[in-house]
Amino acid sequence: MACFERASPALRELFLRIHRAERPVEIDHHVHEFGSVHYHVQCSASDPLYTYLSISTPLLSRGIPLSSQLPQHTLEMVKGICPDVMEIIERPKEGYQLTLKLNFERIRHSKVSIKMITDISSVQSVILSSQLKEILRNIDSSQEMYKPIKLIYHPREPFFVIKQQTKITAVFPMSFKDNEDVIIATAFFQELMDVASSEACAKAPHCVWSPIPPPELRGEPIEDLSTNSGFVSFDITRRHVEGKKLDKTVWNLLNFYTFVKYHVKSTRSYIQRRMRMRLQRLVQPLRYVGIEEDQQIKKKAKGIRSIIATFRRSLQDKAVEQEIYCPNSSVSTVLAYTILADSSLFFPCLIYFFHTCSS
Amino acid sequence: MANSLRLYLTCIRNTLDAAMCLQNFPCQEVERHNKPEVELKTSPELLLNPVLICRNEAEKCLIETSINSLRISLKVKQSDELENILTKKFLRFLSMRAEAFEVLRRKPVQGYDISFLITNYHCEEMQKHKLIDFIVQFMEDIDKEITELKLSVNTRGRLVATEFLKQFI
Repeated sequence: MACFERASPALRELFLRIHRAERPVEIDHHVHEFGSVHYHVQCSASDPLYTYLSISTPLLSRGIPLSSQLPQHTLEMVKGICPDVMEIIERPKEGYQLTLKLNFERIRHSKVSIKMITDISSVQSVILSSQLKEILRNIDSSQEMYKPIKLIYHPREPFFVIKQQTKITAVFPMSFKDNEDVIIATAFFQELMDVASSEACAKAPHCVWSPIPPPELRGEPIEDLSTNSGFVSFDITRRHVEGKKLDKTVWNLLNFYTFVKYHVKSTRSYIQRRMRMRLQRLVQPLRYVGIEEDQQIKKKAKGIRSIIATFRRSLQDKAVEQEIYCPNSSVSTVLAYTILADSSLFFPCLIYFFHTCSS
Repeated sequence: MANSLRLYLTCIRNTLDAAMCLQNFPCQEVERHNKPEVELKTSPELLLNPVLICRNEAEKCLIETSINSLRISLKVKQSDELENILTKKFLRFLSMRAEAFEVLRRKPVQGYDISFLITNYHCEEMQKHKLIDFIVQFMEDIDKEITELKLSVNTRGRLVATEFLKQFI
């Protein structure tokens, strides 16, 4: 669902085009991203001052299907992106959760403008991470202690957040369609666990992978606990949510599924690449056998050819000699020339030649 | 190379050397047919006893010989799940490109991972000792490649895991 880049590249391109246009442009674009995010960008020449951006995105919900309204704290965070340029329309367009009114005239044409437009394009990531941020921020509050909170931002990729006294545990039930993916991912989780317990990553969240559900998830519905790649848990402490780290931690947790899937995909392509390279090397010895064979045949052929050439030369001399002594001189000359012209006729001619000479 | 592997490969080499005495032999049942007898098995008198060479339970080599053809089937060791998928993936990849090898069978014999079919024509086209060298070298390379692939997949995973966790610090 989430992607590594926060800003939507398509939105960014569109906004930059609108911002850089010297004349008012007419735009009515629908952009779909990751199968479930839908943007509608509208800009008309009759109203050149404003651009309207409507967003429909699956929200990080607590097991409830998509709600039509965004929570207040999310709206506050969206407002905070670029308060001078964007304005939230109270009643969003039908079918969308949020409609923004953008005024690009307020952005000056400078290097800052690109940064501002990139920030506006990352509105979906702000919406996505707002709820998890809220949960992680209240790490010490005693509300809903030890009770797993199920968060769904994609129907097939739910995860659990469990508040504990000094930490928050994020548990990711991992499932993959393909058996190969399961094995590659499992190997990765084991490495993740090893690295997390090493000294180099002592300050990173403690990570545990287990093929069975962790005890914190006891009592959860069976369909949430049936996975084929086990459960990965991260212990988030206060250290990981301080200041700017909160944003990073939230984004990393939201991207964990995507990250693992990307790793699995790239590992598969790496294996394929390596196999292709290896194929060339494996075939080489057989090719060399073929080449060596050819060379030997050529050498032999070369040898035979040289013998024939010498024989021909001697035959030519002989033919000249025979011409002197042979009674039928014209026949012998013709035969000698035939032999020289066509090597396939060599032996029949040779027999015939000697036969004529002897007779 | 491990001592046990060397012994295993030497044994296979010697057996192949003895078994690879192939000659042109047309089919006895069907006129103007010349097919590998080891595959068709039409006449039992044209078949020799198959030889099974085992390094351990997971690694073995079956050499089936007939008058005009020879079939070598290999079972490659797979100690864990990762090795298992890597071996299957790699050998399937090679089998799908069997035309590049000429002597490789598209489908392995049941119970084995990969099979070769060598006919008298192959022996005539290529040299016998070169073919044996190729088979032995192939076995060594496969072993090495699977081990290297496994190592690199794990190393890759470790690097990716480190990078992911560093983002939290």
